[in-house]
Amino acid sequence: MWGTYLENLIESLPFFLKGLWVTVQVSALSLIISTLGGFLLGIIRSTRIRTVNIALAAYVDVIRGTPFLVQIFIVFFILPEWGIQLEAFTSAVLSLSIYGTAYICEIVYGGVVSIPKGQTEAAISGGLTWPQQMRYVIVPQALRPILPPLVGQYVLLIKDTAVVSVIGLTDVTRVGWFTVQRIPEGILVFGLVGLLYFFICYPLVWLSNRLETRLTTEKSTL
Amino acid sequence: MISFRKVNKWFGPLHVLRDIDLEIDKSEVAVICGPSGSGKSTLIRCINRLESIRSGELYVDGIPVHDKKTNLINLRAEVGFVFQQFNLYPHMTVLDNVTLAPVKVRKMSSAQARKIGGELLEKVGIHEKADSYPAQLSGGQQQRVAIARGLAMQPKIMLFDEPTSALDPEMINEVLEVMIQLAKDGMTMIVVTHEMGFAREVGHKVIFMDEGQIVETAPPDEFFDHCKRERTRLFLSKILTH
Amino acid sequence: MPLFLRGLGNTAWICLIALIGALLLGIISCVMRLSGRRPISFPATAYIEMIRSTPLLAQLYFFYFGLPGLGLSLSETQTGIMALSLNSGAYIAEIIRAGIMSIPKGQLEAATASGLSLYQRLRYIILPQAIGVTIPALLGQMIVLVKDSALLALISVFELTRAGQLMASERFMPAEGFFTTAAFYLLIYFVLKLLSQQWQKRLIFQQDRG
Repeated sequence: MWGTYLENLIESLPFFLKGLWVTVQVSALSLIISTLGGFLLGIIRSTRIRTVNIALAAYVDVIRGTPFLVQIFIVFFILPEWGIQLEAFTSAVLSLSIYGTAYICEIVYGGVVSIPKGQTEAAISGGLTWPQQMRYVIVPQALRPILPPLVGQYVLLIKDTAVVSVIGLTDVTRVGWFTVQRIPEGILVFGLVGLLYFFICYPLVWLSNRLETRLTTEKSTL
Repeated sequence: MISFRKVNKWFGPLHVLRDIDLEIDKSEVAVICGPSGSGKSTLIRCINRLESIRSGELYVDGIPVHDKKTNLINLRAEVGFVFQQFNLYPHMTVLDNVTLAPVKVRKMSSAQARKIGGELLEKVGIHEKADSYPAQLSGGQQQRVAIARGLAMQPKIMLFDEPTSALDPEMINEVLEVMIQLAKDGMTMIVVTHEMGFAREVGHKVIFMDEGQIVETAPPDEFFDHCKRERTRLFLSKILTH
Repeated sequence: MPLFLRGLGNTAWICLIALIGALLLGIISCVMRLSGRRPISFPATAYIEMIRSTPLLAQLYFFYFGLPGLGLSLSETQTGIMALSLNSGAYIAEIIRAGIMSIPKGQLEAATASGLSLYQRLRYIILPQAIGVTIPALLGQMIVLVKDSALLALISVFELTRAGQLMASERFMPAEGFFTTAAFYLLIYFVLKLLSQQWQKRLIFQQDRG
C-alpha cells in the first residue's frame, strides 16, 4: 500500500513543484517590498520625531501583536466590504508585505539607533545634511547589526507564506492539502512539503548563523 | 570672529552656561580649561550648533548662530571640529574620511578632494596610512586623521574638544605638535584641554570656566603666574601638580 | 461576545499546556544538544533545525493528516497542542542555548579552576545568570506561541480565531468578527509585553543591589 502511495506521490511531483514556484514568487515579492518599506520606515523612525514615532510604534505593535492568520483574514474578507476586490495572490503579497515591513522596520531602527552618537556629530560637524549623514555615515555602519536578524526575519517570512494557503492560493502547502485528500498518507505528503520548505529555508538559516558569527568577530580582528 | 553676548543655556533644570560674554579674534588661539561639568565642552559645541543656546547672541564670522533661520551648512563648512573620541568613520579609509565632507558639501570633485586630502594627511604626518582603515591606526594617528578631516573643508575656525584626553600619554605629543603648527600657521583655534604646555607655547588667551561661568580670562603668562581669582588659583594648583 | 470569551478561554489553556510541553522539550533538547557526544547531540540538533526550517502550518498538517495513518487517533485539540509544543520546544531550546552561551567564558574557567563540579557549576554560576537573560526571550516566545495557536482554527479547534471565523461565516459579520479577534490578541500581547518589561526592570534592580 505504501508502495502505491509513494508512486502516486511521485506522480504528483509536478504539482508540488508548481506550488513551490508560487511560494517562491510570493516570498520574493513580499520580501522585496517589505525590505524597501522596512528600511524606509526604520530610518524615518530613527528621527525620533514624536508624532512619527508614536504612529510607527502603534503600527508595529498591532502587526506584532496579532496572528498573521487574522491579518490575512482581515485583508481577504474585509477589504471587499469596503469595495476593494483583490485576488488571492495580490491579497497574499499585500498582507505579507504589511506584516514584513513592520518587523523589518524594527530591525532597521534598532540597527540605526545602535550607531554611537559621535558618528552623527562628526557628520554634522562636517556640514552634511541629514540625508547625507544617513547615506554615507550611519546606514553603511548600521548594516552590520541589521544583516543577521534581517536574514533570520526572511526565513520567518518565507515560512509564514504557508498561511496564505488558507485563502486559496496554490502554494506548496495548499498543494499538500489537496494531495492529502487523494493520498491519505499525511506523513508522506507533508513530509515532502516540509522537505521542500527545508530546501529553501535551511540555506538561509545557515547564512544567518554564519553572518552572525562573522560580523561579530570581524569587529575584534579589525 | 567669534562673539558670545550674554549667552545662556539650560539642560532641563540645569543652568549650564551663564551669561557668557566672550570675544575671539581672527588667528587667535584660545584655551579653555576648568573642572568637569563647568560647561566648557558645551560652550564650544554651541559654536557649530551641535548644541543650541536658549538666550543671548552668538556670532561666528558674522553668521548669527542663534538665529533659527541661519543656514547651518554654511556655518559648519567654516568651522572644523575635533572630538575627544575621534569619531572617525570606521567603514571608510583614512583618505575617504577626509574627503567625504569636501565632496558632498563643497561639491568638490573627487580628484581635487583627494589631492587636498593627501596634502593634509602629509601635513599631519600620516600620508602613508591614506588607504588604511581607522581601526588599524593607533589613537594618536586616528586623532591626527580627525584633525586633517576637520581641516579638509578649509575652515576659518578649528574647535578642539579635549583632543588628547582619550590618548595614551606617549601619543599626546604627536597630536599637540600638529596643533601647535596649526596655531603658528595662523588658524583661529579654540581648544578645551588640560595640556597647559600647549597653552603657554601658542595660546593667546586662557579662559577658566567653572559652573557655567567664565571666571577669568588672561594671556597665558598672566594666567599661570599672576591669576586674579581664588577659584582659578585653586584649580591651577590641582592640575599643575603633576 | 460569549463566543469570544469561550474562544479566549480555550486559547488560554491550550497555550498554557503547549508552553509547559515546549519548556520540557526545550530544556531536554538543549541539554542534549550541548552534550559533546554525537549520538546524543545529533538527534536534538536535527529536531531543532527541521522545526526551524519548516512552517508551523506544514508541521500542523503533518500531524493532523499523518497521525491517523499511523493508527494514532488524537482529537484536533490534542494534535494542535502537540504540534505547538514541538514547534515552540525547538525555539526554546535555542533560546536557552543562547542564554547559556552568553555567560562570559572567564566565569566558567574561574569556576572550574576553583574546583566546582559540573552540577555545582550549573547550579550556582550558569543557571542563575542564564535565567535572567532568557526570561525576556521566553516571554517573547510565549507571545509567538499565542499567535501561532491561531492556526489551530484551521483544523477546526474552537479557539479565539475560530470564534472570529464563525462570526464571519455563520453570522455574516466578518468585520466585527476579525477585529474583535484582533483586539483580544492585542490584549494578550500587551499584557505579556508588560510582564516582560516589568521583569527586565526587576532584573536591573536586582543586579544593582547584588
